[in-house]
Amino acid sequence: MTPGKKRLNYSYYPGCSLHASGREYDISTRALFKALNVGLKEVPDWFCCGATPAHNVDELLSLSLCAKNLSLAEQVEGDLAVACAACFSRLKTTQHHLKEDEEKRKQVETAIAGPAALDKPVKHILEILAREFGLSKLEESVKKPLLGLKVASYYGCLLTRPPEVPELDDCEDPSIMEDILRALGAEPVKWSHRMECCGANFTLSRPGVVLKLSNAILESARLAGADCIMVACPLCHGNLDIRQKEIKDAYGAPDSTLFGNIFGSELQQGAPKDQRDLPVFYITQLAALAMGVPSGNLGFESVITDPKPLLREKQLL
Amino acid sequence: MKNKLMHLSNETMNVGFVKKVEALSGSSVRRCFQCGKCSAGCPMSAFMEHPPNRIVRLLQLGQGQRVLAGRSIWYCASCETCTTRCPNKVDLAGIMDALRKLSWDADGPSKESYVQLANRLFIENIRTYGRQYELRLGAAFNMKSGQFLKDLMLGPKLISKGKLKMFHSKNKNIGEIEAIFKRIEEMRKKGEAL
Repeated sequence: MTPGKKRLNYSYYPGCSLHASGREYDISTRALFKALNVGLKEVPDWFCCGATPAHNVDELLSLSLCAKNLSLAEQVEGDLAVACAACFSRLKTTQHHLKEDEEKRKQVETAIAGPAALDKPVKHILEILAREFGLSKLEESVKKPLLGLKVASYYGCLLTRPPEVPELDDCEDPSIMEDILRALGAEPVKWSHRMECCGANFTLSRPGVVLKLSNAILESARLAGADCIMVACPLCHGNLDIRQKEIKDAYGAPDSTLFGNIFGSELQQGAPKDQRDLPVFYITQLAALAMGVPSGNLGFESVITDPKPLLREKQLL
Repeated sequence: MKNKLMHLSNETMNVGFVKKVEALSGSSVRRCFQCGKCSAGCPMSAFMEHPPNRIVRLLQLGQGQRVLAGRSIWYCASCETCTTRCPNKVDLAGIMDALRKLSWDADGPSKESYVQLANRLFIENIRTYGRQYELRLGAAFNMKSGQFLKDLMLGPKLISKGKLKMFHSKNKNIGEIEAIFKRIEEMRKKGEAL
């Protein structure tokens, strides 16, 4: 740390997934920030931000829930750090809408029975790592560079869209994840599906949709020669990691049935389909690993598609 | 409904509905000149009977009923690709939200029931617990949708990996959430909010 510069401190909104299906994202975020000596203090008694279902059917409810969370965040010092892409998007969108639309703001203030706090900057942890902590300092802090690890960085939908809201990076051609990967010593691959939707919350209601969309993402990453995928959203992680075996069952093996032989003959003449397991990492898991945090503290035991063989092969464990 | 010949007249065009959509979404539908960029980039258009650009066209022609009768709006993933790429700044994702709200309010037969059910349970969870309780979300969805075996093999795996909590954690200030729901309901009753 440069002398005279204050230590970075953030308030932290983990969101529901990070306390449940995405717990390794929470664990590794805390471990990484500790390793970088950046303060992180959880907002007490935060609520669910409403994610996609709330704004899908009731925008006022969604805005009110987020406004309530923003006012709870006022109790803790420091800009608000958010790890989940959906929470990030909802909190930012709420600030953006309520600043622009006075009538909406009045309605929301009636709903939460108090003023809407709109001034605390909301920041995604990618932004904090790359811009506020800084790429060069991140590079200096690396103890165990991720040499030889080919990573497909997957942005998904909500980190950068719509363009006027998240202000994180370019909405069609972002580079922030690749920049961080390079600083960690890893090798980002060029691939086509880094901003395609994974099916998001259809995982509950229409899993077939998720299998189709996520299959295309995994295929594209394999085609580009990636060893693994890196994400910054617990829902993307869930769809690509938890459902990976199902996706393989549905789309992976060449169809050897009678119908497959007749209709799929064209496919089968080509090379056998690549069915490698692709471990899916959270950005914070890879970054913390590079900072020398012991792998036992990064929640790898919670991941479904086991990343350990890959990490051992690359001598990172 | 969807393939019936369309006759345009003052009687068949529901302009009031379109105005509601515009008010709710804060976006004009008249700006669209049908370039089709939204549908070209839409990851879900393969699942829809009206791709996004046609939804806007139907709205321009006052055909709200046709839009609500289909499943398209319930197959939008809210990925915002359409809004991002629209050259005329039509907020397609916002319009989809508005259409879902109007369909939800109407409580009509047009809803894609599974998506609707998932949304309803998700919001119920917020009201009851303050946060999501994923085990209940999954279990209640399977019970109520009658798909008792859906993701059956996934549950135990997720629990053993610590990804599904057996018990919920209720917020200490849960009363405040209930108050927000109540106040919104009251505002709607008095006509102070859409």
